[in-house]
Amino acid sequence: MSANVLICDDSNLARKQVFRSLPENLSTNVQLATNGEEALEILRSQNVDILFLDLTMPVIDGLGVLQALKDENIDLPVFVISADVQPEMQTRVLNLGAKAFLRKPIQLDILNEQLRTHGFL
Amino acid sequence: MNAFDLTEDQQDCLQELINVAMGQASDQLARYLDTFVYLKVPSIEQVRAEHLFDSLNEDLAATAIVSQGFFGYEGIRGEALLMYEPQDSHRLADLLGYEAGELTFDEQIIDLSSILTTTFLNVFANQIDNQMSYSAPRLLSGSLGSVNKHLQQQAFNWDLALKVRISYQVTDYSFNCDMVLLIPEEAIINIKTVIDRILAEF
Repeated sequence: MSANVLICDDSNLARKQVFRSLPENLSTNVQLATNGEEALEILRSQNVDILFLDLTMPVIDGLGVLQALKDENIDLPVFVISADVQPEMQTRVLNLGAKAFLRKPIQLDILNEQLRTHGFL
Repeated sequence: MNAFDLTEDQQDCLQELINVAMGQASDQLARYLDTFVYLKVPSIEQVRAEHLFDSLNEDLAATAIVSQGFFGYEGIRGEALLMYEPQDSHRLADLLGYEAGELTFDEQIIDLSSILTTTFLNVFANQIDNQMSYSAPRLLSGSLGSVNKHLQQQAFNWDLALKVRISYQVTDYSFNCDMVLLIPEEAIINIKTVIDRILAEF
């Protein structure tokens, strides 16, 4: 299955790490955003099937993106990939509708397991 | 651009390594204080000697500063400064859950600082296949003079320093703590070499 993927992270290295970890079927239509505001602009105007979202970012952070998606009824699977591994943060993002919380740096096997769990593999 | 300047990619890579380390240090702090720690995007800047102490002065709204040296392989070394704001020192014992008289204020603040510094730097070192050793943490008075004197006593060249600033905000208690890492001139080149190795994999 092919999908439109959006990777949102303020770090170029982190965006590359996620991109390189994606399975082949999710690697064809990938867009990149460097902060939450850019991501929301894309999400409001284009069809995106899956969002990989960092939390600690300038302009609008990951929690801000999740809240905006909820407020604007934009429904898509969001996988948060963050270094902020506090249990309360993981609970917050899941309560805001994220499908899963993955720790940075991204581990290929864990990403694949989550994608499989949510029907993308 | 001089030999000590970081390229955009090098700065980005260093920032991401710091993000991961900061995340795990904040998790430790959150568990230690049984609360939630709010994180901001860390700042990284190069500071010349003539501006280093001015730049620190801007950060020094602190009443207490704990300084701890770190030393890794491949010449990666520097000084970590943990800075606490005046109003926070009074409630630190409550935050840490100590009984009255159990530990002195100096011992409490050194305790907390050491956990933050070593957690952060151990995670940072692990990501670059390195390992850190630490000097004993030392409590300095929150004055520029005392920090200046302390830094000048180190066998580092501070003509140029890489300054990394990380803010930990404990919102439940309005408690803030800033960690400032100062990496001396000779170590910047070594960090650049390590970063280039990571970037080469991408």
